[in-house]
Amino acid sequence: MKKKILVSLLSFTMVMGVLAGCGESASAPAASEPAAKEESAPADNGAAKEEAKPAETAAATADAGEDVTITFMASQDWIQDAEMELGEKFTEQTGIKVDYQIVPSDQYESLLMTKINAGECTDIFGGQSSQFSIVTQFNVEKNAVDLSGESWAGNVDPAAAVELSAGGKLYGQPIQDVSACWAVAYNIKTFEDLGLSIPTNYAEFCDVCEKIKAAGIIPIYECVSDGWHHVCWTEAAVAATQADASYPDALNENKATFEGNKELTTMFTQLKELADKGYMGDNYMSNEYADAPASIASGEYAMVLYNQGLGAEVNAADPSFPVDNIGYFVNPLCDNQALNVNYCGPSRFIFSGSKNIDAAKQYLAFMASDESLAYMTENVGKFNQLPYSNAPSAYSAVVQDFYDRYPKKVAVFQASVKYYNPAWMDIGADMSAMFLDEMTPEDVLKDIDKLRAEQAAAASDPAWN
Amino acid sequence: MNRNKVYPRYFALGALIIYFVFFFLPGLIGVGYSFTDWSAYSDELHFVGFQNFRTVFSADENYMKIISNTLAFTFITTVLKNVIGLILALLLTKSIRFLNMHRGIVFMPSVLSTLIIGMIFKSILDPKSGLLNSFFRSVGLEMLAQKWLVSSELAFGSVMAVDIWRGVGYIMTILIAGILSISSDYYEAAAIDGAGGWKKFWYITFPLILPTLATTTVLNVIYGLKVFDMVYALTNGGPGKATTEVLYTAVFKKFGTGQYAVGTALSSVMFVIMIIVGIYMIRIMTKNEVVE
Repeated sequence: MKKKILVSLLSFTMVMGVLAGCGESASAPAASEPAAKEESAPADNGAAKEEAKPAETAAATADAGEDVTITFMASQDWIQDAEMELGEKFTEQTGIKVDYQIVPSDQYESLLMTKINAGECTDIFGGQSSQFSIVTQFNVEKNAVDLSGESWAGNVDPAAAVELSAGGKLYGQPIQDVSACWAVAYNIKTFEDLGLSIPTNYAEFCDVCEKIKAAGIIPIYECVSDGWHHVCWTEAAVAATQADASYPDALNENKATFEGNKELTTMFTQLKELADKGYMGDNYMSNEYADAPASIASGEYAMVLYNQGLGAEVNAADPSFPVDNIGYFVNPLCDNQALNVNYCGPSRFIFSGSKNIDAAKQYLAFMASDESLAYMTENVGKFNQLPYSNAPSAYSAVVQDFYDRYPKKVAVFQASVKYYNPAWMDIGADMSAMFLDEMTPEDVLKDIDKLRAEQAAAASDPAWN
Repeated sequence: MNRNKVYPRYFALGALIIYFVFFFLPGLIGVGYSFTDWSAYSDELHFVGFQNFRTVFSADENYMKIISNTLAFTFITTVLKNVIGLILALLLTKSIRFLNMHRGIVFMPSVLSTLIIGMIFKSILDPKSGLLNSFFRSVGLEMLAQKWLVSSELAFGSVMAVDIWRGVGYIMTILIAGILSISSDYYEAAAIDGAGGWKKFWYITFPLILPTLATTTVLNVIYGLKVFDMVYALTNGGPGKATTEVLYTAVFKKFGTGQYAVGTALSSVMFVIMIIVGIYMIRIMTKNEVVE
């Protein structure tokens, strides 16, 4: 009898345990309710604020606890030391802690998209801006919080804001200086010592590389292992736009392909040639982007494709290396002589499923304040002009000279061509295969068309369906 | 007391329901999704038949290479982990000094996080400044300094080597337990009959640890087919298009790009492979099992 009572009690306890467990999971969707509210927010900002209230209430509930920690995930190099220092100040002022989750760049995109698609993203996530990919890739209207009504939103540079907006609403906050472009940064003293001048086409660039190589210096520092940096060379695709201004639009309307394009074929062929001629040294497949400044500072390498902050970074790696000893010229593949501009760049987005939306908004407001922007500009070498009207300008003479030298500006494919940015890492893998002779430049172009078509089909793009 | 009491079948009901709801049903739904166009870009779901499977087995895609990579990884690491694990287990069941310290050292990598091991080895195997190549250069063996993780010839072997290093201690520990469970009477009798070390191993140890080897093989095969973190940390499937890509890194990437349907189709293919491999493996391994 006693046994039966014991069995009954144990069974009852187990059933209650199971029910309690189910109860827990049943309440889980409630936490994501703010996301649903955000989704249905009307276009009008005032109304949006009204709609955002439940989210704020939820956030306020979360904030009511003593310890609010917001999580911020971004790719390597997107969160600078200066930002983390500001994060500490933010914590001092608000009591909100910031947990920075920095992910190796070759793994970031897969991880981010998996987290977003699984509905388990961090409160703030870093993502590349682009008016096309923030919709097709991140689906910001569903996965990010509308920031149009934030106090700082009006300060964002209009050109950068376009790349962060969908349906007339602003969804992101720029992290970096988008005026900077990927150009060939070179050691001025090495050039002077070897009597070299800035190349104005691909043939001259090869001559320069040959002379540097002959002097026992590796001409170009390249880092394929990061998965993204070598793809920056494809910004020379602006040559294709110059040859035919309607080409990006034709690509977006699915009336043109990458395969068979003369300039693009030349671009990949020339890049492969640079590697084959030994201008990138022996270790370009395993080099890491983070080591670029130290490698230039050591004198082992003379050039690297970089943004306009390399001088300060090399100086930080080796204080005896003068900041203004780094000059710049445009990526000369395809004989390009236009400035490859891209108002897209790494940006902060607030995840719509976050429980700390209000705290995350406070962080974004803090980062866009006059003081924070000035601090970032002063302390991050590559930030010369952050894309905010209240940010200071800090162009050095060398950088200003570089911009003045190339008056013609052409938008890069990352900004002007649909489904190019989301395929960036896949293109990187293809190019890595090209360097290893597993693919030809033609194969790479063909695969880019295929990658874009896959994305377009998944997005039900009418131009592809 | 009724010793032959058979418990009623409904006693198993609770376990069966939990297993069905939390394991079987999600798996079944996953297989179901592989016949749709499920993606992150659309809320609509359409039945597309075998289209995703056609994509997986298409000659234009890399998936067949990925599947063969996974099978090769599983086969090679299973064989080598078992062989090396067995050799180490045999050595570390002898009366040698600091026995437990030796066992501890070999076992230690199994306790470490695979991701951390991956990151450490990424640094060790760096062609320019890695510990391994620096060592080779310092002792005048320059020709042995290779591009371990970034050349298409060596990358896959390097990943497998690191994984074998990580997993061999675990297999060794299981095999040590198996060897120690063999009665010493057999060895004494064999010694009286004049059997040497090799004959003792071949006629006593090996047959009696076959059940243990079957267990370690099953564990290795399951791990090998599901390997993800080691490849992810060391090469992320590269260099190139799919040099070291395995099924789970490919599934992860497909989910990352929001192409869920192809991801679930790949998982389904993986599921079928695991069932086939599992059934045949257990049959073969238990065929000539010797029971002490």
